[in-house]
Amino acid sequence: MSEMWVNMGPQHPMTHGLWNLRVKIDGEVIVDADPEMGFLHRGIEKICEYRRYNEVVTLMDRTCYVAGLSWEHVYLMAVEQALGVSVPARAEYIRVMSHELQRLASHIMWYAAFVQDIGLMTPFLYGMRDRDLILDLLQSYTGARMTYEYMRVGGVRNDVPVGFTDRCRKVMDWLEEKIHDYEALCDRSDIFLKRTVGLGILKAKECLDLGVTGPMLRAAGVPRDLRRDHPYSAYPELDFVIPTHDGADVYGRYRVRMEEMRQSIAIVRQTLEWLDHHPGRVLAEKVPRFVGTPTPPPGRESYILRRGYPKGRGFAAIEEPHGEALAYVINEGAEHPYRVKFRSPVMVNIAAAKDYLVGYRVSDIPPIMGSVDICVGESDR
Amino acid sequence: MKAEEVVPRLQAEFPSAVQSVALRPGVLARLEVDPGSIVPIARWLRDQATFCHCSMVGGVDWVERREVLYLLWSDEFRTYLEISAWVPGEDPHIDSVSGVWRGAIWHERETWDLVGIRFVGHPDLRRVFLPEGYEFHPLLKSMELHEPEELEVKRRHV
Repeated sequence: MSEMWVNMGPQHPMTHGLWNLRVKIDGEVIVDADPEMGFLHRGIEKICEYRRYNEVVTLMDRTCYVAGLSWEHVYLMAVEQALGVSVPARAEYIRVMSHELQRLASHIMWYAAFVQDIGLMTPFLYGMRDRDLILDLLQSYTGARMTYEYMRVGGVRNDVPVGFTDRCRKVMDWLEEKIHDYEALCDRSDIFLKRTVGLGILKAKECLDLGVTGPMLRAAGVPRDLRRDHPYSAYPELDFVIPTHDGADVYGRYRVRMEEMRQSIAIVRQTLEWLDHHPGRVLAEKVPRFVGTPTPPPGRESYILRRGYPKGRGFAAIEEPHGEALAYVINEGAEHPYRVKFRSPVMVNIAAAKDYLVGYRVSDIPPIMGSVDICVGESDR
Repeated sequence: MKAEEVVPRLQAEFPSAVQSVALRPGVLARLEVDPGSIVPIARWLRDQATFCHCSMVGGVDWVERREVLYLLWSDEFRTYLEISAWVPGEDPHIDSVSGVWRGAIWHERETWDLVGIRFVGHPDLRRVFLPEGYEFHPLLKSMELHEPEELEVKRRHV
């Protein structure tokens, strides 16, 4: 049979967003793949050049709509380095706690969507139910469920409310119990195992060559996690392990994410313990005044270069739920960043699609691409 | 090799290509290198200094010239290395490192798309985010942010 190109997307249930996977098929077998991005490109890096440092935080929530707080975190770490602002310890702990709650929410969202792709409906409902509890927690101190706008240059906007730590502990206990349910639903399901084990293999060597990071890399047996290898914020003081798997397949990525959720729960518990005993400021005392003032509308003095502010560059790297996220901020002494550059882990993981799709069948595409954990808002920016 | 030895040994290996070395927080060092010798430097860093992961390639428009940024990660040293190469603003181009790290292919496509730096020897230099046939590179400082307008673009696939 002759080969032909098939468009899977831009609107296809497999895409979990808006992108196009072009696959070349020979009968049922994939012989080539060409992912195509850009349908959700909003020019966030360009808009950043026209917003003051604190205003960019609003855009960071929109960058990745399932893990907004991690993007706020990486952007602000880079800005604080560029502006020379130091963050109080309590704010660092709140940031780490938010980041880990966000990781839990993101992984549960992934689990719900991925397992539904495979054809199991119950885990989707379980996942959505438990994700809501985390969103309730985030709402109780950020005021929002998806677009938080919570972190600020020099710390976070407000402290957690009274009684928050006890409520959070209860949710963590509940989740720890429910992760067993998640696993029981999948690990004993023949349908799940047949559609995950041995599919979408990407070995460690190819992962490193292609720059693939996050759970995909750890599922290939490489224990790289920037929380431990390039520690930032309060992570050096926290105790956790890096789960890996040697399958390098879809099932391995599922196992790694499940274990990561357990580790996140352990980290959140440690931060809650610390927060209970260390009251204090959550916003730095000395922050340049211009970071918070609103921007005049474009067209009128939208890019003012006022000499006199210190110049500098900031670079930060974090382990986002999807992988390694980088932010690079250039401060040219103006009220706006001169250039902001992000590295999106999802874009790199999708870019490697050819290497983990070729040789499998068309019906294997939804589980394989599902295991990548795609957030198109983040890859297209 | 230890992490501190990487930069001196690189300087000894490429005495004229490494133009300046600066220390910055968060990375092992920031090196400014000659754009003509980026590929041998990249290959040396990968093979001799274990920088096996090309984390990011980016571009910055400084109006008269443009800067190409590379951030590399080494699993052995557990650190980043920042490499910067300056290319002229007129017809900016630099050799592609996609032959050294395959992961750089999409980063270089993105840099071409948004900042307009051409990567010589790139296997597949198409745009990533913007449609093929779009004539602008949006992250250039000459592009002002303004209200959206209708632009006629070629269709991607016919």
